[in-house]
Amino acid sequence: MKLPRVFVLSIFFCFNVLMASSEGLAAANEETTSAEKGQFTLAVRRLTESQYRHTIDDIFGAGIEINARFEPEQREAGLLAVGSSKLSITASGFEQHVALATSIATQVLSEEKRATLMRCEPAAAEEFDATCARQFLSTYGELLFRRPLSEAEIESRLAIASAGARQTGDFYVGLQLALSSLLIAPEFLFRIERAEPDPVDSGSLRLDGYSKATRLSFFFWNTAPDRELLEVAGNGGLHTEQGLLAQIRRLSESPRMEAGVQAFLIDMMQIEGFENMVKDPAIYPKFNQLIADSAREQMVRTIMDLLVTRERDYRELFTSRETFINRPLAAVYQVPFASTEAWTAYTFPESSERVGIFSQIGFLALFSHPGTSSPTRRGIKIHEIFLCEPTPDPPADVDFSQVVDSTAGTVRGRLLDHMQNTGCTVCHQRSDPPGLALEHFDGLGQLRTMENGSLIDDSAELFGRTLQGAQGVAQFLYEDSRVPACLVRNLYAYGVARRPDAGEQTYFRSQVETFAENGYRVPGLFEQIAASPEFFKVVLPEGLKVRATALTDGVMAGPDQQ
Amino acid sequence: MKNRFSRRSLLKGMVGGTTVSLGLPLLNLFLNENASAYADGAPIPVRFGTYFWGLGLTDTPAGGSRWVPWKTGHGYEITPELQAIAPLKDKVSVFSGFRAIPDNSPNLVHWSGHASILSGTAPSATGRFEAPSFDTRIADALGGSTRFRSLNIDASVSRRPISYSTRSGSTFASPDVTPLELYQRLFGSGFQDPNSDNWSPDPSIMLRQSVLSAVTEQRKALMSSVGMEDQLILEQYFTSVRDMENQLAIQLQRPEPRESCIVPRAPEETERSASIDVVNNNTRVMARLLAMALACDQSRVFNFVHTGGTSETYIAGQSKIYHQITHDEPTDSRLGYQPESSRLAGLVMDGLGDFLKEMDAIKEGDGTLLDNCLIMAFSDTGYAKIHSIENIPIMLAGGAAGRHKAGQHIHEPGESVTRVSLSAMQMVGAPVGEFGTGSMRTARPVSDVMA
Repeated sequence: MKLPRVFVLSIFFCFNVLMASSEGLAAANEETTSAEKGQFTLAVRRLTESQYRHTIDDIFGAGIEINARFEPEQREAGLLAVGSSKLSITASGFEQHVALATSIATQVLSEEKRATLMRCEPAAAEEFDATCARQFLSTYGELLFRRPLSEAEIESRLAIASAGARQTGDFYVGLQLALSSLLIAPEFLFRIERAEPDPVDSGSLRLDGYSKATRLSFFFWNTAPDRELLEVAGNGGLHTEQGLLAQIRRLSESPRMEAGVQAFLIDMMQIEGFENMVKDPAIYPKFNQLIADSAREQMVRTIMDLLVTRERDYRELFTSRETFINRPLAAVYQVPFASTEAWTAYTFPESSERVGIFSQIGFLALFSHPGTSSPTRRGIKIHEIFLCEPTPDPPADVDFSQVVDSTAGTVRGRLLDHMQNTGCTVCHQRSDPPGLALEHFDGLGQLRTMENGSLIDDSAELFGRTLQGAQGVAQFLYEDSRVPACLVRNLYAYGVARRPDAGEQTYFRSQVETFAENGYRVPGLFEQIAASPEFFKVVLPEGLKVRATALTDGVMAGPDQQ
Repeated sequence: MKNRFSRRSLLKGMVGGTTVSLGLPLLNLFLNENASAYADGAPIPVRFGTYFWGLGLTDTPAGGSRWVPWKTGHGYEITPELQAIAPLKDKVSVFSGFRAIPDNSPNLVHWSGHASILSGTAPSATGRFEAPSFDTRIADALGGSTRFRSLNIDASVSRRPISYSTRSGSTFASPDVTPLELYQRLFGSGFQDPNSDNWSPDPSIMLRQSVLSAVTEQRKALMSSVGMEDQLILEQYFTSVRDMENQLAIQLQRPEPRESCIVPRAPEETERSASIDVVNNNTRVMARLLAMALACDQSRVFNFVHTGGTSETYIAGQSKIYHQITHDEPTDSRLGYQPESSRLAGLVMDGLGDFLKEMDAIKEGDGTLLDNCLIMAFSDTGYAKIHSIENIPIMLAGGAAGRHKAGQHIHEPGESVTRVSLSAMQMVGAPVGEFGTGSMRTARPVSDVMA
C-alpha cells in the first residue's frame, strides 16, 4: 500500500521542478524591490466587493458571472473605504478568491468570449505561443494591476501558461491559469499606493502616476483606471496641472461617474446588510427578503435621482418627499400602487408623516431590532451618518437597578431611565432625540401611533430644540451647518481612503464654503475635491521611515532595515 | 533535581524558571502514552476548538449565582443554568471566578471579556484585538497536516458574520454561516474520502499549485518598503496563500483511512431568523457536520460562534431581544435573580449541550470524538446586566486525548482568564510557555485539570 504513494509523489515532485522553468526563476530573481526603485508603499487597501465587481465588469465586459462570498468589510471613521486599509485576506477568503479567479478566467477564455477579448491567436491552439500569451497577459495584467507589469511578473505568468499548455495540450487552458494567477495576486486584490521622490519639489514625496490614476478612477468611477488614464499616468501627465484637470473633466463628464457617486453614497449612508436583515415574523408578518431588497433599492433610487440625476441641493435629502416605490413596498407603506411598471415615482403627500430619507423603510428597519424599533440606534446613526458625530461605547459600569420593567408603555419610558443616570445621560440625551422623533415608525418602518396600548409621543428635545416627528428631524438636519461639512469630510476621507487628520480643518472649511457657493451639489463636489492638491497629499504610514537622503537619491529604510 | 526535562515540565512550559518555547519538530513529545488509537494502532490526533456564546450566565445582585456550583473538584452539582451539560458533565470542567483584568484599558462592553480570553490582552477599542487570538497558535501547531488549518463557523444568523479568530488583530476570520455553506466547504469539491478504495491524485492540482507560485515570488518585492500596519496585512495575505498551498499539497497525498468517517448528506436550507430555536437548530446541524469533518480529519482546529457578544437572539414572538432583556429586566425580589434572563441563558446553554452531544456521538478508537477534543466554551461577560467581566463562565469539554482531567469544577475568584487559555493551549500541545500581557500575563496553567 505504501509504495505506490511514494511513487506517485516522486513523479509529482519531478513535474514540479520542471514546471518552475529556468526562465521563470531567473526572471524572479532579478525582480527589484520597490525600495531599490526608490518607491515607498503608503497604503495597502483591500478592494471592496463593489470595486472588485466593477473592475471585472469593466475589464472583461458585463456578463462575467461573479459568484462568490466576499469577506466582511469593516467601517472606520464612518466609511468602509477607510476601513479597507485595515483589512487583509483570511485563509477562507483566499480560498474564495482562488475559486473565483478560476471561474472568471474560465469564462474570459471560453470560446465565446475569446473572440472579443483576445487580440491575437496562437499559432496552434494545442500549443503554447509565447508571443500571443505575452500580449494577452501584459494587456490585461496592466488593467488588473493598474500599472504595467514588470518583466519578472510577465515571465512568471508565461511560465505558468507554458507549463499548463504543455500538460493539457491546450493553449487557452495555460492562459487561463496565468490569468487566475493575476486575479489572486496582491497587486490586484489590494490597492497598493506608492510614493516617489518629487523631482519638482526636492526633499518631498509625491504619489506616483499610477497611484494617482487609481485614486482618481476609484473615486469617480468606482473601478480601475481605463487605458487612457493609465497612459496619461505613464507619461507623467497627471503630475501637470493641465493634464490632471483634463482627466478630472473627462472622468466627471463620463456617464460612468454615476457608479462612482452611488458607491460613495451607499458607503457613507451605510446602505448595507439588507441581505442579512432579520425580523421576527411573528411580530412583522409583512417582512420578507423581497421587502428588504426593495427597501434598499428605494433608498438608492431616491438618492441617485435627487442628487445625481436632478443635481439638487444635498440637504433636500432630508426634506424631500419624492421617492420611488414598487408593489411590495406600497403594501408596507399602505399607499396605492397603480403602475404597470415594477417601479414608479411616488411623492408622499404633505399630510404624510414620511419626509426625508430617514423616514423610508430601509433606514428605519435597518436601524432597529428584530422585534422592536430602536430610537437609540436610529438616533446614533443620524448623528454618525449625517453629522459625522460618532457615539462612544456605553460605559460598562451602568447601574441598571433603577430600570423598571417596560413591557408596558412606550420605549420612551425606558430611555428616560437612561436619562436619569449620569453615566448614560451624556450620550443618550444626544443620541436618542432624533430616534424618539421617529417613534411613529415601528421596527419595520410601518406607521403606528400606539405601543403596548399607549399613545406614542413623537416629540423630543435636542439641545434646547424641539424635534417633532420626521418633519422635525428634517428641519433640524436641513438647517444644521455640520451636515454639509460632514459630507465634505466624508467625501475627502472616502477618496483618499484614510481618516482625515486634525491639521486638515482649514482645508475642510474652505471646501465647505465652495460647496455652499455651488449650491450644495454633490457631483460638483467630486471635481472640487479631486482638483485640490490635498487629494494627492502624501501621508507616511507609521513604521515607514524615509531617510532625508532618500528624497534625493531614492534610498529608504523600511521597518526591516532600521 | 532531575537532570532531564520531564514531559510534565515541558507541558508547563517552565524549566528552571525559564520559559521554554518548543519548536514544531518536538511536538511528538506531547503524544500522550495513554492516548487512544485507531483499530490499526495509528494514534488518534487531538483536536481543539472554541465555542462562544454571548451574554454570559446569570449572577444575582446579592452575590449568588445561577450557574456556579457549590462543590469544587470532581462531582460538582448541576446548577440551573448548567442543566444542558448534565448528560456529559464528567467530560466537562467548569471554571468560575476567573476574570478579565483590563489594567488601564477601558472595559469595552461585550468585547473586553472574550478579547482578553482569546488574545491575552485587554483591547483598547471595540472591533480590534491587540494580539492574535490564541486559536491561531494552536492551528499553527496542529493544523499543518489537514486540509483546513482551522474552520470557522457562525450559527447566530446575525447581520454580519461573526468570528473572533484573528491573526492580525484587525482582520477576523470569515466564517461559514449556513449549514449548506459549511457542507459545501467541507464535503463539496476538494473533499477526498479517506476511506475510498479508488483514490488517485487529481492532476489539475499541480496546475493549481503553479498558479500560486507566481504570487509567492512577489513577496520580497512587496514587503520591502511598507509601514507596520501594511506589513501585517501583507503577512496575513501570504499566510493565507501558504494555507492554500498546504491544502493542495495534502490533496496530492492519499489520505490516511479514518474509520469513523462517514460522508454525510447535504443538509437542508435552514430558516433565516435569529430566534433561539433557529440558532440552536443551526448549531445542532452545523455541529454534526463539523464533528464529521473532524472525524474525517479535514481539520483539527475550529472556532464556533453560537451567538455574538451583543447577542440578538430572542424567543420567537417576544419583542425584546435577549441582550435588551439582560439589561432591562429587574431582579425579581422574591427569586433574587432575573427570571427571564436566566431562562434565556438556559436556552442558550442548550445550544452548547447539543453541540457537545454531537461531538460525543461519533465513536473513535476506544472512546468518542469528544474524548479526543478539547473544546473551550466561554462568553463575553459574566453577569450581563452590569457588563461584568468578572466570573466569566468558561468550560473545557472533552478529554484532549487523555490530557484533560475532565469533570471538575475549578473555582478561583479573581484569577485571570488567561490561565484557562494557557491550560488549553498546553493541553493540546501548542508550544507556549506563557500567555497574556499586563496583569493577565501568566505562566501558570490550571494544573489541576491537566494530566
